[in-house]
Amino acid sequence: MGAYVLRRIGQMIPTLAGVMLLIFVLFNAVGGDPALVLAGKITNKEQIENIRKQLGVDQPYHVQLGYFAFEVATGFTCTWRSFTEKPDAAKAPANADLKAGPKADPKADPKAATKAASPSGCQAVRSWSTNEEVPKILMTRIGPTLTIMIPVLVLETIIAIFLAIGVAYVRGTLTDRMIMMICTVAMSISFLVYIIVAQYYFGFKWGVFPVQGWSDNFWKNVVTYAPLPVMLAIFVGLAPALRLYRSFFLDEINNDYVRTARAKGLSENTVLLKHVMRNALIPIITNVGIAIPSLFVGSFLLESFFSIPGLGREILVAVNRSDFPVIKAATVYLAMITMIINLLVDVAYKAIDPRVTFK
Amino acid sequence: MLVLSLCLVAPFADAKTIKVAFRAVETGFDPQKVEDRYSVAICENLFESLLTYDWLARPVRLVAQVVETVPEGEEGGTRFTFRIKPGIYFADDAAFNGKKRELVARDMEYAVKRFRDPVVRSPYSWLFEDKIPALDAYVEQIKKSGAKFDYDRPIDGLTVIDKYTISFKLKEPDFNFVYFFAMPNVVPVAREVIEKYGEDTMAHPVGTGPYILKEWVRASKIVLERNPNYRGHTLGTEFADPNDPWDKDAIASLGGKRLPLIDRVEITPIEQEQPRYLAFMNKQHDYIEETPLAFVTQLISNGKLSAELQNRNVRAFPELQPEIVWDAFNLDDPIVGGYQPENIALRRAIIMAHDINSEINIVRSGQAKRMYSLVGPGVVGYDPSFRAIEQDYNPAGAKAMLDMYGYVDKDGDGWRDMPDGRPLTIEYKYRANEQEARQSVSLWVKNMAAVGIRMTAREVLFADLLKDRKVGKFQMSGLAWIADYPDAQNFLQLLYGPNTDISNDSRFKLAAYDKLYLAALKTPDSPERNRLYREMSRLAVAYAPWRFSVHRQFTHFINPWVKGYKKHPILYTSFKYLDVDVEMQKKVMQQ
Repeated sequence: MGAYVLRRIGQMIPTLAGVMLLIFVLFNAVGGDPALVLAGKITNKEQIENIRKQLGVDQPYHVQLGYFAFEVATGFTCTWRSFTEKPDAAKAPANADLKAGPKADPKADPKAATKAASPSGCQAVRSWSTNEEVPKILMTRIGPTLTIMIPVLVLETIIAIFLAIGVAYVRGTLTDRMIMMICTVAMSISFLVYIIVAQYYFGFKWGVFPVQGWSDNFWKNVVTYAPLPVMLAIFVGLAPALRLYRSFFLDEINNDYVRTARAKGLSENTVLLKHVMRNALIPIITNVGIAIPSLFVGSFLLESFFSIPGLGREILVAVNRSDFPVIKAATVYLAMITMIINLLVDVAYKAIDPRVTFK
Repeated sequence: MLVLSLCLVAPFADAKTIKVAFRAVETGFDPQKVEDRYSVAICENLFESLLTYDWLARPVRLVAQVVETVPEGEEGGTRFTFRIKPGIYFADDAAFNGKKRELVARDMEYAVKRFRDPVVRSPYSWLFEDKIPALDAYVEQIKKSGAKFDYDRPIDGLTVIDKYTISFKLKEPDFNFVYFFAMPNVVPVAREVIEKYGEDTMAHPVGTGPYILKEWVRASKIVLERNPNYRGHTLGTEFADPNDPWDKDAIASLGGKRLPLIDRVEITPIEQEQPRYLAFMNKQHDYIEETPLAFVTQLISNGKLSAELQNRNVRAFPELQPEIVWDAFNLDDPIVGGYQPENIALRRAIIMAHDINSEINIVRSGQAKRMYSLVGPGVVGYDPSFRAIEQDYNPAGAKAMLDMYGYVDKDGDGWRDMPDGRPLTIEYKYRANEQEARQSVSLWVKNMAAVGIRMTAREVLFADLLKDRKVGKFQMSGLAWIADYPDAQNFLQLLYGPNTDISNDSRFKLAAYDKLYLAALKTPDSPERNRLYREMSRLAVAYAPWRFSVHRQFTHFINPWVKGYKKHPILYTSFKYLDVDVEMQKKVMQQ
């Protein structure tokens, strides 16, 4: 198994390189010129050129791609200037302090003085529009996103599994048909409609939950602000999951081993929850595994409507502002998470089904 | 012990807090780096510009803020000298090493240099471009050499005369230059703060304004608290309108008091319309500004508040902003461009065929007024009596004009063609994911079809649309402009020929217009300058580079415990001029 895991990790490197290349090509082909967005409402060619230079998008494509690879590998951004130029604070005239008024006192804060003296040095990748460090953006936004998405995934999976096994058990009956019909109708309605209606009734009309909001307190978020978006996401995700899982259970429920278990006199609960569920769990885990990466980007609709400062909303804002460092970082980060989770899911198969072997 | 506890608790218990929402996410609070109005709105409360506007005066009126007087343009409008009042202090910050830091003229000089420093990438660098030759030359020099901006280098024309006095010598007269110093981001900043925080200045604003940034969770929460070092200000009542109920309320609530009265401001950015509206209706917010169009019509019908709002004693403040919304033609385009009579006739016919009344009543739900000239309402040089029948909806006239100039169907396909037989097809580019723009363009397509002109609508991403407009890769497109400062010149520069590739997206180049524009720049506010402004609007009507569309009207709703509310047309926020009835607020609002 160790060799298998190592091999898979090795395969991630060219995959990630491919993802990066794709992102780079897409951004340069269809992404628009970020300098125009950042330039302001009255701008001229020179100013746009200056911004392009500052952002490094005036460089040849291969150089930009090199910077991008360096940023992904180190989390830092550098230019050739960074390596060749020396800090030039010393260039200031000797009597500058008399002429220019107060300045940072290097003795009081040597770090600050160094910072001021070497703006061209390597530094953490920063957002083009807010100048915030991109790793910091991702780290601060992931918490609210997971606060919503983890309960959604866990509850949705558990509820869908138990409903699906129940519906599969009564397959072909009126109950089964009614539930499937409700699922189809529920899936046909846009998520946006659920959000707007639920926010209006639960938040405003009945006052059960706040209309929107988020706090610094984790428990307040869990108890006060998260329930409505979590419920909505579960409600919307339940219908497709229920239909899918029902089909997994139906595939198993007609197999010979189920008939044998029943013939052995096992109770229906044992047959369903022990034998059928264990076999049906493999495709369910695959499905959950596919859904896990989406946990880390959240739902931009939920985050946007409920003012949750999560990653989904951040990415949406970044797209609107052509803030490529944030978009690129989020995309690469998602690709990495997807690969890691795929690996973990494959390893989990072995734990669930001992017949699975790694090659 | 109990008394001591009460003393400690009391100020917090009685703290006056305002909770509001912004309709967009902020970017940061480095005044020289930000452009979006919501970030600038916060800067307005953290920093102080040298000048500001009288809060109640309409039309708006410049007054001194941290300087002793509003400077008159000396030397024929080429020199402006500001003298800062002594004894104004920045908010405390670690950058000052525990000492009180006084505001001095060098801070303004430093801020102006930052606007031009290429590394800062200021979106407002244009304010100080082409004004001070030595500054322009120096910036050119460092751009070429790649050297860093030397903030210690003296610049001719940007002179610090003494500790508190700074003087600007311009190469050309510009009587509007003084307005720049009332903009909320043209503010003095302390050099040691900027140098201390380096790349993180967006998160460390330190100014002399009435508030400090207490807490900031980007895109989620902005908390302002009173700046203990702030000296206070009072409400000027000299120019108040005694018959205006809002002015009366402001004077009754704030008159004679040391402001600000609000201790804490909590702002939540909410981009979506429904939650922002519902948060106000749910009493989570004290007031809502720029209420989404979709909900305004539910709250006001025929000028009357809904029964629910009447029961809650909510007040509505309608505001016609100093802005213009127009549909631009690209004058360099071979179909809709050109200056020959037949080119002008085509544009005029297109304008006449566009049903502006439906645009206002249907697309904009009646929340807009017709735009008749190039200038937004409420600014110096705006002429409310200016009318242009050439821009009225007149489909029959449009058809007649098209027929007269040979724009008829030559190939029998049911659509009009160019006089030389080329197909007449016009593409209207609009910003993707904007419902209002989509509806507006649908109306355009329908109106053009009614007179036989084939128009197609093309949805384009914002960044691409900006690029297309800048390089003249469009035929028609919708644009809007809100005043940076309250003078007509800020609007009229949008058609100034040399501003092509800068802000003149129509690429309109007319010598007569440019001559009037330059003459107006050199003329102080006077009937003569208004005449020049009027002439420029006349030329725009005649040559038709724009379909004058609308001035949008916004409605703000204010809960009854908020006292003294009045929205200023140029300044962004009202926190400095508000009071709250804490008892009533506590009773009603959701905490």
